[in-house]
Amino acid sequence: MTLEQEIHDDLPMYISRSEISTEVNKTGAWRYVRPGYDEKTAPCSRACPAGEDIARIEMLVGQGMVHAAWETLLRENPFPAICGRVCFHPCEGACNRQEMDQAIAVHHLERFIGDTAIRERFEVPHPFYGDEAEQARRRAAGKKIAIAGAGPAGLSAAYFLTRLGHACDVFDADDEPGGVLRWGIPWYRLPEDVLKIELSRLLDMGVRIYCNQPVTPDFLKQAKDRYDGVFLGCGYGRSLRMGIPGEEMARDGLEFLHEVRAGEDACLQGTAAVIGGGNTAVDVARTLVRMGVQTTILYRRRRSDMPAFGHEAEMALEEGVSLVERVAPIQIEAAGNECRLTLQEMKTTDMDTRTGRVRVVPDGDRIRRMRFDQVFSAIGAEPGENWLIPPEDSESVLSVSHCVLQDGDPPLVFGGDLATPVKSVADAVGSGKQAAMILDTYFHEGRDAIPRRLADCRVGHGQALSMEIYLGGKRRERNPHEVRFAEINTDYFFTAERQPHPVLNPPERIRAFEEVEGVLSKESAMMEAARCFNCGICNECDNCRLYCPEVAVYIGATRCIDFDYCKGCGICVVECPRNAMSLEEEGP
Amino acid sequence: MKTVLEGSHAVSEAVRMARVQVMSAYPITPQTHIVEALSEYVADGRMDARFICVESEHSAMAAVIGAASGGVRTFTATSSHGLALMHELLHWSSAARLPIVMAEVNRALGPGWNIWMDQTDSLAQRDTGWIQLYCEDAQEALDTTLQGFHLAESINLPVMVVLDAFFLSHTYEPVDVPGQSEVDRFLPALRPRIRLDTRTPFAMSQMAPPGVYMEMRRDIQSAMERVPDCFGRTEAAFEEVFGRRYGAVEAVACENADVILVMTGTAASTCRQVVEDLRSEGEKIGMLKLKMFRPFPVSAIRKLLGGTSKVAVVDRNFSFGASGIFAQEIRAALCNHPNHPPVFGYIAGLGGRDITPDILKEIYRRTRDTDHPQAESVWVGLTTEKEST
Repeated sequence: MTLEQEIHDDLPMYISRSEISTEVNKTGAWRYVRPGYDEKTAPCSRACPAGEDIARIEMLVGQGMVHAAWETLLRENPFPAICGRVCFHPCEGACNRQEMDQAIAVHHLERFIGDTAIRERFEVPHPFYGDEAEQARRRAAGKKIAIAGAGPAGLSAAYFLTRLGHACDVFDADDEPGGVLRWGIPWYRLPEDVLKIELSRLLDMGVRIYCNQPVTPDFLKQAKDRYDGVFLGCGYGRSLRMGIPGEEMARDGLEFLHEVRAGEDACLQGTAAVIGGGNTAVDVARTLVRMGVQTTILYRRRRSDMPAFGHEAEMALEEGVSLVERVAPIQIEAAGNECRLTLQEMKTTDMDTRTGRVRVVPDGDRIRRMRFDQVFSAIGAEPGENWLIPPEDSESVLSVSHCVLQDGDPPLVFGGDLATPVKSVADAVGSGKQAAMILDTYFHEGRDAIPRRLADCRVGHGQALSMEIYLGGKRRERNPHEVRFAEINTDYFFTAERQPHPVLNPPERIRAFEEVEGVLSKESAMMEAARCFNCGICNECDNCRLYCPEVAVYIGATRCIDFDYCKGCGICVVECPRNAMSLEEEGP
Repeated sequence: MKTVLEGSHAVSEAVRMARVQVMSAYPITPQTHIVEALSEYVADGRMDARFICVESEHSAMAAVIGAASGGVRTFTATSSHGLALMHELLHWSSAARLPIVMAEVNRALGPGWNIWMDQTDSLAQRDTGWIQLYCEDAQEALDTTLQGFHLAESINLPVMVVLDAFFLSHTYEPVDVPGQSEVDRFLPALRPRIRLDTRTPFAMSQMAPPGVYMEMRRDIQSAMERVPDCFGRTEAAFEEVFGRRYGAVEAVACENADVILVMTGTAASTCRQVVEDLRSEGEKIGMLKLKMFRPFPVSAIRKLLGGTSKVAVVDRNFSFGASGIFAQEIRAALCNHPNHPPVFGYIAGLGGRDITPDILKEIYRRTRDTDHPQAESVWVGLTTEKEST
């Protein structure tokens, strides 16, 4: 038997209840401050040399919308699978999440997007959001551009210029394109097939690449007949010299990496010294240990001063590379089949305020001698030829953050390592994008419009530029204000461990040239991306709508506020977890 | 089947089997174990319910008021300062006529800080319009929680199930835990009389001007007056399924008793033993256990105590400037009885101090040997000799 619950229908229950609407009470009349959707700039995107819209990309990945994330990424950077491997990710250093637990793994998420696109054959997004008429109009007004150097800067310039409707011919001195990506970065950091697939997209877009054709001063002289503009992104082709006796006994590090990637049979053994503390020195050392050579890096400052990316240096040490700090070579001599190095011991003094690095001076006459089977030099590089050095500022020269424009017929843009303050792949991509904006503005609006156009396209108040903004996309509506951690409503976020990515053990790594770092699974990538605060970006969490005491937030084409009823209490702005809303005073 | 359960968890089990849909609570000793277990049931999927985490007891009650207005079965639990913080919303929930059930673990109020047994917290809420039911042991706590939903929903008034701190909340006892199907038989799904529904929107609890307010208050009292009857029906339904009943009051050996002790909570258990011991010595002692405090079961009390010789009320609480609260209420219930007995008021066991059989025996003897009660309460068991005699 089931007992029916007793309900006393004659129950005395007189309570206040009304079915009259309160719509007649237009509480909007009380308002003296006005809330609004006001998307702002995330610090990561300002720090990204390629100006990627990282907060939005992570929002999309977090929601499982990898294809949309890829399209957003491709508007600013043609090479996610490459940069997701070799970029030094300054974005993570700027990440607000660090203040709570750990930065978002932006670098590995970029690689996840890039690798997913390769696996699933995503297509490059339409530059004008499907507007074929605009594309046809752009193409008809397009110019012919010659690009010197098929490295990351030249290829980035070619990608963006082609999307803007220009026809690009890329010339390279080597027999395969890629520049430092092809010849300087070892396979274990950037497998060749990844490079080839990302470069093939440019060929599919119609970019023509001519190999074994170095650009020369003579070529430039004749260029005006064939080209409307030239981009010079030939990189640093000449290694710096140490200027010490016996220097000729040291092999050039860059050349060595080039030979290894060209597949030349470099049968090495025994011991080696690598002189230098930059990325090339670390790449040379890590390449040598993979060949079975016992390798020591000799550096004149301390480990913490090494210009090489910290992560790379750490991996080198894990793989068995030794590091001797505070030694500067002063002589190399032959000693039988070995090289005998004479090293001056150095000591630190004060901080160099210009470079931010500690200064070192010889530590009296303290000398150290070491013997190695071979010595490599990797202390830096410079432009391969003097005419590639950008000209000093003058009336016909315009220097901007990542490029130098020399006006003339044709106009000439120096970019990549020749003009960027930081020599990195991401900066080269940013430089190529800046060059594309410079030339496109030059052709369509004239030289004088360039500084204003570039300033309008800045991501926040930083130097990175956005092509989406240049093309009038939605991103141009962003407030340049950079969201700080204090502006995040952390009540809505819980601490969560950063998702680990697969990494080979050191003994496995040095057995061959297999890629060291693996890619995040989709599940991990989504979990990692969901950690992102999405600083300043609306991810449609709906807090504004849920908290509005007047039910004045509604969903139209986007989220909208009904100002007949919004009384300006500001709860929506305070409860926005990510500072994507602002309050402003009502006008008179 | 009997299971050894902590008193707190006896309540949690009842709430789980009552298929409560929304719970909200803020932790406070000695209540925490109740909602701790419930939050785990929700997390494990053993309960199909929402557990709303909040930053205070005020918000906890606000959350269950919101949920109950939406027409779902709700539960919360608190203690002492947490209950005091809820005070405003206790009035609200009863006047809004929402059938919320709350477990309240009696605990002393500070300062000085004291987490132990004392009834002043719940009794201070006597005028808020909540039904109050006091429990003696873990079985009664489980049963009363189930009955609480039945009663609250039949009369649209909130129910407070009151447990002694530690003596009941943290003590393990064998408890007969019923099966889900039995509970479902006793307690069908809630059929709400009030239910906010976005399809037929209306506003509730808005302004009530002088022309209507008094009638609303009168209706709350009319409902309260029906509670003893309703509770009787709830107990009858409960007994039909589970074979147990308690009564709003329970008389133990009251026939021909010279002195009847009025007891509540776990101290009633102690008193049962004292009655047995003293009866075997030929003493004429009886006990009246008070389960229901609001509404105060006046007619049952008049029937049981009217015409008896002496009544001794043991209060584990105190109303400063007056007396023990149960004593006040008993005196008020009896004062118009043509043959009302003298009522002696004793204060014992405040702030977790034990009420031992010796204390109860002393209260018995003292009442037996005194002809007329004094005006002030007698504080029993004080360590400093300030005992008023």
